[in-house]
Amino acid sequence: MSIILSELTKRFGENLVVNKVSLEIQNGELFVLLGSSGSGKSTILRMIAGLTEVDAGRIELDGRDVTFLPPQTRGTGFVFQNYSIFRHMTVLENIEFGLRIRKTPLEERRQRSEELLELVGLSGLGSRFADQISGGQRQRVALARALAYQPAVLLLDEPFGALDVKIRAQLRERLIDIQRQLNVTTILVTHDQEEAFELGDRIGVIERGDLIEVGNPEELYHRPKTEFVATFIGNGNVLVGRAEGGQVKLGSTILPFPKNAPFHDEGAPVRILFRPETVVLQDQPVLQKSDIHMLAQGLVIQRVFVGSQQRIRLEVDGLQGVRPIAPPPAYGQRMTHIVALQQSLSSGDRFRTGESFWIGVRDYHILAPTGLKILTCYDESPGGEAAFEFGARLAEASRGPTTLLTVIEHNQALAAAKEKLELLRPKYYPHPSHFETRVRQGASAAEILLEAQDGHYEVVVIGQRGRTVNPNLAGMGSTAWQVLNQAAVPVLIVQSPRPNIQRILICTAAGEPGKSDVRFGGRLARTTGAQATVFHIRRPRSTGAEKKRTDRHLRQAQSTLESLKVNCEIKVIDEAPLPEGILSEAEQGDYDLIVVGAPAPRSPQQFRWKDLDSHIVNGTTRPVLIVPMVE
Amino acid sequence: MNGTENSIQKVNKKRPRSTGLVPLILLLGVLFPLLLMPLIAIFIFASRSGLDGFLSALSQADAQFALRFSFIIASVAALINGVLGTFTAYVLSKYRFRGNQALSVIVNLPVAIPTVVVGTSLLLLWGPIGLLGKYLDPLGIQPMFTPVGVLLAHLFVTFPYMYGAVRPVLDELETTYEEAAYTIGASRWQTFRFVLLPALTGGLFSGSLLTFAHSLGEFGATIMVSGNLRLRTQTAPLYIFAQFEAGNIEAANAVAAVLAITSFILFFVLLRITQRKTVQVT
Repeated sequence: MSIILSELTKRFGENLVVNKVSLEIQNGELFVLLGSSGSGKSTILRMIAGLTEVDAGRIELDGRDVTFLPPQTRGTGFVFQNYSIFRHMTVLENIEFGLRIRKTPLEERRQRSEELLELVGLSGLGSRFADQISGGQRQRVALARALAYQPAVLLLDEPFGALDVKIRAQLRERLIDIQRQLNVTTILVTHDQEEAFELGDRIGVIERGDLIEVGNPEELYHRPKTEFVATFIGNGNVLVGRAEGGQVKLGSTILPFPKNAPFHDEGAPVRILFRPETVVLQDQPVLQKSDIHMLAQGLVIQRVFVGSQQRIRLEVDGLQGVRPIAPPPAYGQRMTHIVALQQSLSSGDRFRTGESFWIGVRDYHILAPTGLKILTCYDESPGGEAAFEFGARLAEASRGPTTLLTVIEHNQALAAAKEKLELLRPKYYPHPSHFETRVRQGASAAEILLEAQDGHYEVVVIGQRGRTVNPNLAGMGSTAWQVLNQAAVPVLIVQSPRPNIQRILICTAAGEPGKSDVRFGGRLARTTGAQATVFHIRRPRSTGAEKKRTDRHLRQAQSTLESLKVNCEIKVIDEAPLPEGILSEAEQGDYDLIVVGAPAPRSPQQFRWKDLDSHIVNGTTRPVLIVPMVE
Repeated sequence: MNGTENSIQKVNKKRPRSTGLVPLILLLGVLFPLLLMPLIAIFIFASRSGLDGFLSALSQADAQFALRFSFIIASVAALINGVLGTFTAYVLSKYRFRGNQALSVIVNLPVAIPTVVVGTSLLLLWGPIGLLGKYLDPLGIQPMFTPVGVLLAHLFVTFPYMYGAVRPVLDELETTYEEAAYTIGASRWQTFRFVLLPALTGGLFSGSLLTFAHSLGEFGATIMVSGNLRLRTQTAPLYIFAQFEAGNIEAANAVAAVLAITSFILFFVLLRITQRKTVQVT
């Protein structure tokens, strides 16, 4: 193992630039670090070379811990983006510099540098100065200079960044040749995907300091694990469907899970990636060919000729409940877009804009499931703080993406509100790339509901909200009350701080309405590792048939939770008054979270707020999660 | 000739010049009595008694000593400040620490302080009743009114010139050059010696010339700390002043002419260097 990085971390002031990056690179491997500018990739390279100090973590080169060694003793060859050829030295003197420092005899170093000149294809130019050779030649001098003293590791920081396209292509090939010939372990940093694909034995994708995924180029292109890699590399279509009955529901289409697809909870969102070249466009929805899955009908809205192929963008209306991730929907865009690559034929364009086609996919890939997508509503009341803290804890456990939202009046300053939210970022641990802040202007409840709907969040975390606590609204502010009543997704109301999530009380009614809260409570318990208690109060004077139904429901609940690998117990109480029974159980068991079901929302006018749920929220200061029934 | 004509034409193409003669005549009318006539006067007076008079005025022991002393002091000042100024510029440019900014300002202060004040403050430090001098005096160490005192004054006054010539070059040089040297295996000293110093030659040369020229003409601080002792601490400018006061205008003029010519030569060499630099940059 030539290079081993473990939990490498770097901060510049408040900014986390490199976040616990761990990586192992084999002897002789050409590893590419791919990321956009400012992602921290160059910082990693500089830390390996010893040019930037390490805040935490360890660097091992050839079995030697070099974390705190000065750059001189690390034995790395570094090629800078600007090459940094010493201007007052000739090409030959530049290449010899490392050997001269090492006091190698003149004869030997002359011979070695002539060899290197030959290797990089610059024989005969040894006596020139830096300003007498071209950019591409300078780059090769820098490479030869870095190789002259036979470094253990070659580090290249955007080596082709400043060159034009044609020279770049030539130099890439030469670099591969040289690297193979010398078998020197190499890390190359670039923002150019094409370069990464062409050069890399393996590629590590880095974003905002996180090493997101590592794999060989083909794996990353066809079978990425993360949404970021799926959208960052190549032009993928990524749509979000839902896991239903062991299959993926994507609009009106049902797709089977491919072999080796990552496990998804029932009802969890499923992100499907299909590359434009696997999209099939047909005039008829023919389904005979079993390897093509029909998605929907789409309208061509754009056709771009790119040489051997043409890129076609279609607009699809018939994908109900599907959330598009890529191509990223434009602001205000209602319909899903899908990009297809088709061979371009000299016989003319079949795919004129406005024409409609059936869209099928030949091949698709399922991304690994994310944690819960959480919307946390923040305001400066104590309840708002408690909601933020609880939301952050939930996010930390589930490792899902979180958005922190605040709603301000129209006359308040957006920038100031945004800044206030950004100040909370450091409290949010540990995945800054999954954390977003958003400010909306308008009426609190309406804006929160809109955001919850637009962003396809899985749970909304909200504090007591509202300046005035209204006894008519079950002791809540009007905002929380409206959100609770109208949200189509589970709402978690946090009334006072709760330090951890270890015990979850899932209150369930028998039958259909009880299923969604068991499922969602189960997901929460699984992600947080909490102990779940399924709690049921029998109706007074229930008949034998009712009892049977209840027992069956509870058995199913238990097996559902066990399939999620949740540690659970079932608790049934006979004939207790409803809210009081639940409340006393919550107090006795000191639960951290109470999960209750609710009917699905109907219309804004018709509140579904039932006595039961309002009494529970009113009767406890513990966090309460209200799960609407899925219809 | 052709080359210069071409370049003038090019300049003209870029920025058409107005042909009005009045401003030019006015400018010459100001410059001539202000700058040129005094210089001419030196040479006219120096040559009044012919070459023989000029040479005999120069061959006096006092004059010989004063000129030699001035050149030696200027050379030593240029050498010492060459090292000190470069070191200061290197530290202030390459190391980040608290007070870096403040030090950068302090280092330039000697330009702003009147030289007589510099002389006074040196006396108040090193003189027989000075802060340090009063402890050194009983030990027999008395830097003031000796060549060492003169050197101290000159080092103080000319310190910013070397620093000012080297610092911008160091600031502009990208750090990746040093970093490249470090990764190749060069120590800090080797990096300075083989990578930075060669890049600094231009700055070092012009800095040395500036230091030398300023030291050669330094008067205010020197007269305070030297005691103006003939054949001991009298520099050329002090000699000129003393002779002039004594009414030996010819003796004064001869030395003044030598100083003026030396300064001209230094000035034109400097001009050539800076011009070559701008050409390289473009």
